Amino acid sequence: MLNVPESIDSGLLAPNRQIRVLLIKWVIALLIPVAVFTFGWSGEAIENNVLLGIFSPNSSIFSDVPSIVQGGIFCAVFYASVIALVGYLVAADDGRRGRYGIIELWADMIAYTVIPILLISWTNDLLIGLALAVVIIAIYLFLRRAVRNILHYSPPSPLTGIQVIDEEQRTFLISKARIGSFWFATIFAIISLITDIIFFVLGSLPTALLIWAAVRTLILPIVGYFLGWLGGIVAVRQTIREGANGTTKNGTSLSKRVSKRQQLEGLSTARAREEARNLVPNDQPLQSRGAWYFCMVLIAAFVLFYPVLDPVFFAFGTNGRLVGYDDLGYYVILALGLNIVVGFAGLLDLGYVAFFVLGTYTWALVGSDQFTVITGIVTNPQIWPWFFWPMLIIGAVIAALWGVLLGAPTLRLRGDYLAIVTLGFGEIIPLFFQNLDKYTKGTNGVSGIYHPVTPCASWFPCIDWSSYNPVPYYYLILALIVLCIFANLRLRDSRLGRAWIAIREDEIAASSSGINLVKTKLFAFAAGAFFAGIAGAYHAAKLGTVASSDFNSTDSFVYLAMVVIGGLGSIPGVILGAIIVYSLNELILAQLDSIATNPSSFLYGFKQLFPAFNFTDIRNLLFGLLLIIIMIFRPEGLIPSARRQRELHQNIEETAEVGSLDPPPGTSGFEKEIHVQ
Amino acid sequence: MNFNQMDSTGAAAVTGPLAKPLLELNAVTKQFGGLKAVEDVNFTVYPGQIVSIIGPNGAGKTTVFNLITGLYRPTSGAIRLAGQSLIGLSPDKVVLRGLARTFQNIRLFNNMTVLENVLVGLHTQLKAGIIGSLFRPPAVVREEANARKRAIELLSFFGTALLERQEEYVMNLSYADRRRIEIARALAANPRLLLLDEPTAGMNEAETLEAVKYIRRLRDELKLTILLIEHKLAVTMGMSDHIVVLDHGRKIAEGLPEQVRHNPEVIAAYLGKPTNVRRGIAD
Repeated sequence: MLNVPESIDSGLLAPNRQIRVLLIKWVIALLIPVAVFTFGWSGEAIENNVLLGIFSPNSSIFSDVPSIVQGGIFCAVFYASVIALVGYLVAADDGRRGRYGIIELWADMIAYTVIPILLISWTNDLLIGLALAVVIIAIYLFLRRAVRNILHYSPPSPLTGIQVIDEEQRTFLISKARIGSFWFATIFAIISLITDIIFFVLGSLPTALLIWAAVRTLILPIVGYFLGWLGGIVAVRQTIREGANGTTKNGTSLSKRVSKRQQLEGLSTARAREEARNLVPNDQPLQSRGAWYFCMVLIAAFVLFYPVLDPVFFAFGTNGRLVGYDDLGYYVILALGLNIVVGFAGLLDLGYVAFFVLGTYTWALVGSDQFTVITGIVTNPQIWPWFFWPMLIIGAVIAALWGVLLGAPTLRLRGDYLAIVTLGFGEIIPLFFQNLDKYTKGTNGVSGIYHPVTPCASWFPCIDWSSYNPVPYYYLILALIVLCIFANLRLRDSRLGRAWIAIREDEIAASSSGINLVKTKLFAFAAGAFFAGIAGAYHAAKLGTVASSDFNSTDSFVYLAMVVIGGLGSIPGVILGAIIVYSLNELILAQLDSIATNPSSFLYGFKQLFPAFNFTDIRNLLFGLLLIIIMIFRPEGLIPSARRQRELHQNIEETAEVGSLDPPPGTSGFEKEIHVQ
Repeated sequence: MNFNQMDSTGAAAVTGPLAKPLLELNAVTKQFGGLKAVEDVNFTVYPGQIVSIIGPNGAGKTTVFNLITGLYRPTSGAIRLAGQSLIGLSPDKVVLRGLARTFQNIRLFNNMTVLENVLVGLHTQLKAGIIGSLFRPPAVVREEANARKRAIELLSFFGTALLERQEEYVMNLSYADRRRIEIARALAANPRLLLLDEPTAGMNEAETLEAVKYIRRLRDELKLTILLIEHKLAVTMGMSDHIVVLDHGRKIAEGLPEQVRHNPEVIAAYLGKPTNVRRGIAD
């Protein structure tokens, strides 16, 4: 049970022993990554840049004026959520994992946070660093399991920690959170102060910032105290409450909570463990839902302010990197779209590139001089770019209609046959546009495609949408990705989404439950094509030129690899899959030769030994090997959906007696006879 | 175990041939290549009846179900539900006509929760399309909430056991529970005629007794007409109003349980030898 010390108030500065252990555990666990980020990488640089902009904008060190606001917001959000997170974690931890748990947690934090940060700053590229980090984390997880086996350590079941939290214990939880955040903030403030003083003595810190450092040291503990309250509130929201009648205002939701506990007791262990993980207190609060909220804020702040942060992180080459991320963005959309077809509805689509090509050429032909060539209508270059915005949707709708058109005759086929037919589309559509060279200029490509425009007003700055400025496209694709995720979630949790999963699970049962197979599959095909159409229109507008040689029917396999590696049907998984596959394939494997010519890289020696060796020759081999390795060690994908994970880790074979004349369900004889109109 | 003793009350609800037939099979034949799986089968189901199809392994019982529900298309013959032909309709259209079924070897969606399985069964009762799902107007939100309520209502037909496990993935449930969920899913489509393919297969005696009880309740409380395939003769005899016996794809007998029980052809089909009759059926 949760022990409530007699005097809670006196605990702030001198917490009792039980809390002290938790405090040390979590403060160190989070100080490691935060300190590495702040002092080892760029955290302090961002902060100082902001402060210099405010206090001494004429300083020679300070350069980038417009980034003050964004950088400031980022710093505030980042550090505030980390401080509140510590409070949540201290409150939510029940301390059942003991000594091993502490060591394991610290090792986890190094693997999950320090290694990516170090790799990113070493490779000087976010995506390459992340992709390498994922590989190392996979090895780490493998080793962790081995060490656990050697030590015969098995984590306690989350189920045993479930308990009902009463009013007094809730107050205690909040005070625990306050203690956690307060101490974290205080220690961090002191460390920062010491570092600043050292820098000041060395002469690399302006005097103005030293005053700020002193002020910060005083403010942070107070801020920590209040942020701890926030963390505590989040923790309390995840607790099981007493369901006694009328003890509190909200009677209905309370009784629901208790029935939740009863439910957990009735559930199978696997399922209950998933549920219990999110309850407070538990043994691994870092993996609970409450911590996930704070992490989402961190990730959102990072992604939202990335264009401002990038120059601080990596000093130069921001534009080149952002162009890469803009490309990655449409891969993410394509993966999300394909996830509907393959992940939700279980239809193997090997020609997804066809819909991307359709979307691309829709804007390429409408938003360029080719429109005049085709229709004879003379367009006004001042007005025409505005049509990009409606065409983004129209292009997607056209792609979706093509999806229906191509799907209607073929979706009656099952499994393997559908895959072959879609493979055909992937070959035909790019070739079709290549041979339509009267309009598309074939392999030479359509050039001079209009970039989008946005309104300018006195209160709204004009945006430069040219290809040389990747920042607007970064935010455009970010907005599109958010919309696609939203649509994906909504569709998954709807009547249609249920029907898709039902079809994936068992077509005959789905059909016998009243689901129209062809129509439902067509919807999946059309929804997938819709997303590809959006990605295509964006791609054409961003690049400004489209040539048929840009597309390859084998691209479809790369998209499919993103979905499968990320985790079929899992939205965060698919996004991660897109990032990893893109980084491995486009950023690492495609550039091995140029990396090898750099004397500081680890491949340099190899290139010296075998000067005639060309990495481009084995690029696909390496890519293939990577895919095979990932699939052997993680067949369910990097972040599997709950359903999928279950599916792959069960091997029940149902046996049922079936009349000798009735072809057993599942055999070819039975399927063949199924009549679907 | 003697199911016959429980029969005293249930059979009273029989609606005789005076009522309009709900399901009619007329000279239905199904040929797989050179093999006639079902040959010239006729029978009629009247509203409010519990009708059983029995027969030895390979008699074509499940094939008849697949023909009725549109999974197979008959080679010849007519199948009518309330006077309207079902021939050529796809399974989902058949469901819309008011006919739902379960499967012999339980075909649930294993990686969906109990509640989700029933919600899939409610598919035909809901209207939300792709636009409605995306934008979730109040009507769709209400519809979804009502669907959940309805699903819980259907699960509660089998008592509280399934209600407590509504968030559980079905693959973790017992065989008997899965049979119940499959029936709940079929009920969700709001059928007039329910087709149960061996609803007690794989169950122990206590579970079988329980199954017989709720099948009766389906008819008495929900006013459903039930056509079922059953292997356990004692079960069939106890609860059916009318029995159709198939052997080698042909109907060899039909009538009241008593009539069928003493039909020499049925006995021969089941046992091959007429001497062991009494012991065989008492089992």
